[in-house]
Amino acid sequence: MTKSDVVVVGGGSTGTAVARDCALRGLKTLMLERDDIASATVGTCAGMISSGLKYMDEPHIVDMCSQEVVHLNRIARHIVMKNPILTPMLELSDLSSGGSFAEEYSKRAAKREVPPVLFLTPEDSLKIEPKLNPNIIASMYFEEFFIDPFRLCMLQAIDAQRAGALIRTYCEVIDITVKDDSVDEVLFYDRVKGDIERVKTKTVVNAGGPWAPGIAKMAESNVEIRPNKGAHVILDRRVVNVGIIAKAVDGRMIYLFPHENTVLLGTTALDTWEDPDTLVASHDEIEYLLQSMEWVVPSIREARIIRTMAGVRPLVANWKVPEDKVTRGYETIDHEFEDVRGLFSFTGGKLVMCRHMAETVTDLVCEKLGVKHKCTTHEIPLPGMEADVDILAFSADYGISQHAVERLRARRGTEMTRVLELTRENPDWRTTICACEPVLEAEIRYSIREEFPQNLNDLRRRVRLGTGPCQGTFCTYKASAILMEELDLSGEGFKVDILDFLAERWKGKRQSFRREQLVQEEVTQGMYTCVANLDQSEIEYDPKPWEGSI
Amino acid sequence: MGEEEAYEFVTSTLEKERIEPYTREESEVVHSVQQCINCGICLSHCPVVAAVGIYRFSGPRSIAVELSRSPPEFWATGDTIYLCTGCGTCMEVCPKNVNIPEIVNMMRSRILRFRPDLVPKGLHVVRETILEHNLAFVPLEDVEDKTESRDMRLEHYGLPLIETPEEAKSEVLYYPGCQAEERSQEVREAAKIILDRFEVGFTMLEDMCCCGLPSRLMGDKDTAEKLASRLKQRIDELDIKKIVTTCAGCTSNIGDASFAYDWNVPVLHLVEFLTDEVGTDKLAKAFTKPRGKEKVKVTVHDPCHLIRHTSRQLMDKALLLLDLIPDVKVEVSTAADSCCGGGGLVAYHSKDVSKAVVKENLEAIRLLEAQRVVTPCPLCTAQLEDNLFQSGSSIEVDDLTVFIAQRLSNKG
Repeated sequence: MTKSDVVVVGGGSTGTAVARDCALRGLKTLMLERDDIASATVGTCAGMISSGLKYMDEPHIVDMCSQEVVHLNRIARHIVMKNPILTPMLELSDLSSGGSFAEEYSKRAAKREVPPVLFLTPEDSLKIEPKLNPNIIASMYFEEFFIDPFRLCMLQAIDAQRAGALIRTYCEVIDITVKDDSVDEVLFYDRVKGDIERVKTKTVVNAGGPWAPGIAKMAESNVEIRPNKGAHVILDRRVVNVGIIAKAVDGRMIYLFPHENTVLLGTTALDTWEDPDTLVASHDEIEYLLQSMEWVVPSIREARIIRTMAGVRPLVANWKVPEDKVTRGYETIDHEFEDVRGLFSFTGGKLVMCRHMAETVTDLVCEKLGVKHKCTTHEIPLPGMEADVDILAFSADYGISQHAVERLRARRGTEMTRVLELTRENPDWRTTICACEPVLEAEIRYSIREEFPQNLNDLRRRVRLGTGPCQGTFCTYKASAILMEELDLSGEGFKVDILDFLAERWKGKRQSFRREQLVQEEVTQGMYTCVANLDQSEIEYDPKPWEGSI
Repeated sequence: MGEEEAYEFVTSTLEKERIEPYTREESEVVHSVQQCINCGICLSHCPVVAAVGIYRFSGPRSIAVELSRSPPEFWATGDTIYLCTGCGTCMEVCPKNVNIPEIVNMMRSRILRFRPDLVPKGLHVVRETILEHNLAFVPLEDVEDKTESRDMRLEHYGLPLIETPEEAKSEVLYYPGCQAEERSQEVREAAKIILDRFEVGFTMLEDMCCCGLPSRLMGDKDTAEKLASRLKQRIDELDIKKIVTTCAGCTSNIGDASFAYDWNVPVLHLVEFLTDEVGTDKLAKAFTKPRGKEKVKVTVHDPCHLIRHTSRQLMDKALLLLDLIPDVKVEVSTAADSCCGGGGLVAYHSKDVSKAVVKENLEAIRLLEAQRVVTPCPLCTAQLEDNLFQSGSSIEVDDLTVFIAQRLSNKG
């Protein structure tokens, strides 16, 4: 049986941050993720590393968020983008409520090197965004930073690995044994190998997000969260020039944020009792978002909806208050109070805080283990941030289009040279596999070899495979063939993987199907049923819960 | 911070983030491009992809689903986006009519604004010329040289000289375009002969200025708009009711401007003017066998700016015209509607691509027994003529306007 100083349960933004912090402080670290890195809550967020605009009445949290933005810009500049944002106002009351926000925001703006909140006339606002409702009376302007949430988690995991941590995906914790009031062993099931393994450990960090209560229960402990569903509608390409924030039908704030080569419309916030694994955006949520945004961007329904995504926020369990009154901070629970020493759990938190949460819990873990190392996660850059990258020179050097190189840089920073280097020996690997992004064969091969994906969905999270308007229509079969070759899988596995990937795409598409995406779906169905005959194939495949008849 | 200052600050941030807000009109183009379903039909029809391969030019689909999605990254498309000849074949074969040619112009305009260093040098040269002369070519400085060149051309084509009418009251403006004004003067003269032959009162601009198409194609929106409004001003001053052109590019571009800015001035290619306004009866009577010329076998080339950016009907009308001329036999080329490679200003910076594209036309033409190629566009004429000549072919190319003028009988 192996031994570990700390077992981190969960491979989301928090879990990977904890694994990185522990490993950098020299702890023998094992991170267990039931599925893949960033495969649940964080994978459905907008990537905003928010300065805390929605919780101005919790100033200490706003302070923390602002500081974390500074840290993330220091350690992960290569995957951070800035979005200019307009908040158009339609009524005078909007103006007064905006005023107090502006004051709080502006106090901390200089620190993040952004301007204070600015007020623009309707005419100027319309020049910046001609799609706005011409009846606005003014608009507020400010700037926020965004990060690629998949790459952030991936880079945290890889950095942890490089510092000596063991990162195990597809390993589901099935029991945590407690001996003499302390955690003792963690049992987990390796879903790929089909084995049960056990590891002896003095500490366990429960970063399971919506699954945190279930994980705590295995150690006879208690965690209570208020699960809250959030859904996004993903629009093809940048249909707005800047981010837009608007008041929703119920007075909440919703947004339209340019993100990579899409625009995200979000988000909803519903108390939920659904299974986080199978939940999908509902028709009500889609309409809620569209109608709310329609007031300030009247043409919003003309935009092409690619798909939706939905996830569950593990909010702090403040009950009997509206969702937006629940603290946006996080809580770290040391289960010692219920006689389980060495177990720590999180509730609450936001993407922007993941490093801070990790620092807090790692301090506790170190204290428990008697380790004195200081946290360095805010100082040491994540892989790929070593230098700026000369796109034109690399493009010319490797004979790959500038745009493909630039997209590669946006995902990998300086580490992209290792991908490009693969094309020296294998010039064919310059082939475009996913046309929408684009993703080159070399990057897929590199990712499979270095970033431990097990299937196409994992590849999607690492290289944005199949995330474009065609939703995997033309890349699925190609990428699958590469995956099979690299991992030496069977022909049957090849087909199952295609079906799994298409099913996962379907999960997000089905809810919002209309116009362009329906036409697109005809092409997809034609490819995979009429041409590939996958619907007639005799492989064993259980349809996913969301694939049933509707 | 005051409102004015705030606006200035915001625009400077957008500048830094390389965001030039889409205007309402541009948003319509974006809306068109979002219809792409990635089917790839365009890839098998794009003449540039066929000529240079997908590694050199990733093609219309890539422009739609990949390159045009995120404006802050437009700068990184310069190695691809300038290779599009703007022929519009993709848009024509597209099941969703995605407007690739226009999104290409929009993307080029962002590169020109934020990364002018990535705009091909050849385009900067054209831009300078346009800014200085309001023409796409540096005009011959000496008026006498220009006259001499014109007279030599008239002699070569066996055409008489018609005096240019004064800029007087006439409802029809004949607009020759830069190529016929400065280079292929025979086309301008031929058009005058034809209009005069059918007793059409027309006027011409004393100070020819470019229609703005080259500016639009290189992404120089400001200059394109300036040239369009300059033309509109002249139209208003002269109280013009109709514009007749002989250049395919001018036809589509002035037509677009007239539509976009509600000029209410129809723009007709001479071909259309002849078939629709003069009429086939009159035309049939006016054609004669040119003296000393034998029965001639011709093939036609369809200019992209007519068939795809204006209407395919225009080439039907061109064929109808040819049919009316005695002793002319038309042989159909399999590549008649394939881009001549002269579009999109590609030849100004990537001659090899332009030449690879026209090869398709040359090979198809060589397979025919045709002695001449006829096309209603002086730019296509020049491109085909140069390349046929360089490839050692004896096949000659005529602008349709010249071809017609040569075959008209005398008045009365």
